[in-house]
Amino acid sequence: MSWLYLAVAVVFEAAVGISAGNADGFKKLWWTVATLVSGAIATLFLSLALLTFDVGVGYALWTSLAGVGIVVIGAGFLSQKLTWKKLLGIAIVIGGVVGLNLAGAS
Amino acid sequence: MTTASASATTGTPAPVPEKRGKPWLALLVAGAFEVGYALSVNGSAGFTDPLWSSIAVVFFLFTLFFLSVALKKIDVGVGYAVWAGIGAIGAAVLGPVFFDETLTPLKAFWLAVVIAGVVWLKLADSPKLDGPKPARAETDTTS
Repeated sequence: MSWLYLAVAVVFEAAVGISAGNADGFKKLWWTVATLVSGAIATLFLSLALLTFDVGVGYALWTSLAGVGIVVIGAGFLSQKLTWKKLLGIAIVIGGVVGLNLAGAS
Repeated sequence: MTTASASATTGTPAPVPEKRGKPWLALLVAGAFEVGYALSVNGSAGFTDPLWSSIAVVFFLFTLFFLSVALKKIDVGVGYAVWAGIGAIGAAVLGPVFFDETLTPLKAFWLAVVIAGVVWLKLADSPKLDGPKPARAETDTTS
């Protein structure tokens, strides 16, 4: 269940990143609203996930997987290039997440 | 023989450092609030504790505000990388201080890998650093 909470939190945190990037310093109203609403939902589900995860582990998983999500969404839907550097970053994050799991940290 | 008259780099008394420093200060403040946000979200116990929940909301707004101030001047990729790094390292280090958690060397190692990955990812997402010309990370900002 904690992984499900974390997954929902990650999706909405990725939405925060994309909305905040489009809000232009919070001058655009609807992107700003989207940022705040996504942030509220992401925060709520993060707190539910952290009932199980340690805060250090849960927070790192949350922010890094959201970072991966932002890059993947950017490449898939926003016509941004998926460079080898980004792929390497994604690989490092996923490697670390797998390692954390094998280490029994989550 | 030659009198090293000019050290080539100095000579222009410009008040640049102060202006360049302020966005970075805002970024560090945003990072500090992000650590506070992570810890208070944890302390809110699934938003059942009213005090910690309120603090989490306030910290969330503060971190967004200071981050947006910092990113007006600092490159977005670099800014996010530093901010995410501070938040994740802070949460990992301070979690065991404030809560009943342990940070074993093995866990710390894999956490470091994850954090390094997200910092790298943010840097790779920077339009400036990834641009065609090998521009320095700190070019002049026309403020």
